[in-house]
Amino acid sequence: MSAAKRVQQWATFARTWHIFDCKWQDPYESANLIKKYLMGLHKPIYHPMNDCGDVVVCVNSRDIALRGDDWKQRAYFHHTGYPGGATWTLAWELHSKDPTMIIKKAVYRSMKGNLQRRHTMERLLIYPGMNVPEDVMQNVTNQIRQIRYVPVRLDHIPEEEVKSFPKVMDYPENYVLK
Amino acid sequence: MTSLFRTGFLLAKNSIIASSVRSLSITKPLNLKEIREQQKGQSIVIEGVIVPSPRTELLVRNDSVTSEDGKQPCYMCSLGLDVKHTDVLILSQFVRSDGCMLPRRITGLCSRQQKKIGKMVTMAQKAGLMINLTPGNCKKDPKKRFGYKKFNTYFDESTIFVKRLPKQEDRFRRSGSMYFN
Ligand SMILES: [Zn+2]
Repeated sequence: MSAAKRVQQWATFARTWHIFDCKWQDPYESANLIKKYLMGLHKPIYHPMNDCGDVVVCVNSRDIALRGDDWKQRAYFHHTGYPGGATWTLAWELHSKDPTMIIKKAVYRSMKGNLQRRHTMERLLIYPGMNVPEDVMQNVTNQIRQIRYVPVRLDHIPEEEVKSFPKVMDYPENYVLK
Repeated sequence: MTSLFRTGFLLAKNSIIASSVRSLSITKPLNLKEIREQQKGQSIVIEGVIVPSPRTELLVRNDSVTSEDGKQPCYMCSLGLDVKHTDVLILSQFVRSDGCMLPRRITGLCSRQQKKIGKMVTMAQKAGLMINLTPGNCKKDPKKRFGYKKFNTYFDESTIFVKRLPKQEDRFRRSGSMYFN
């Protein structure tokens, strides 16, 4: 095998480490994206029996955004197995207890339930903030593009820019400024 | 106290005269009023000062659009902007300093645009994007809000004119996380 072929072989089957910033991202939308990288669906060599999945590091999972009133509408079900052991936890209560759980469950649910799923989930690393261990961070070579734009708060825009921005509405005559 | 009454009377008189008798001018004069309060010795002087509008110079209008019956649509319809609830630089023009949406007689919008902009202002406030335009008792930090409100939320603008929202049980079915997680 020539040197070029050897490098090609190595590059094809090596595990790539991707990073994904969850800030202002919908976990259920991003789960479908993360799933592709975890299972290796983005590779032309993909086959269910081929162990070609990558590692995805999710950061800022505390800052995920849910749509509309989903924080108080979504319920997560758990049953302890004992009679009367059923609990329904609202999404915001679950997120206050564990800020990584919602994105983990979203990715887990987006994949087909077979024996491979537990092993694929082992390659998903989630961190609530930007504090990622150094031995994880030094493997990362690729960043997954975010799906949604991160909105900018009005008080984070410089005041001159707010004042000089083109105006649409003008006050009527004799309007008392409040 | 007498000076307070006098200024109050003068203010009322000025507003009546200003609304009935208008001075002639070629360009449209836009006189805004600002209530200023200052203390002079024992008495507090409250006066309505006429100030020029800071927005007149930066105003964007599209007057070329007319509908089929020759009428001019309102300025937001004729501009045809695709405004999202994250466009706080546009939405903040329609609110007071306490973050409250201005009424239609002030904004001069058609009823559909007024409803749309009003709902998007609500969305932006719920998402905590205009946290500096809130009442004084607000802590000015979206992460210090109570309960589920402290987490990030985004909105879908296509739900603004939805007539019938899905029922409660449909919402749980849509989330799908009830029995399978
Ligand atoms: Zn209109």
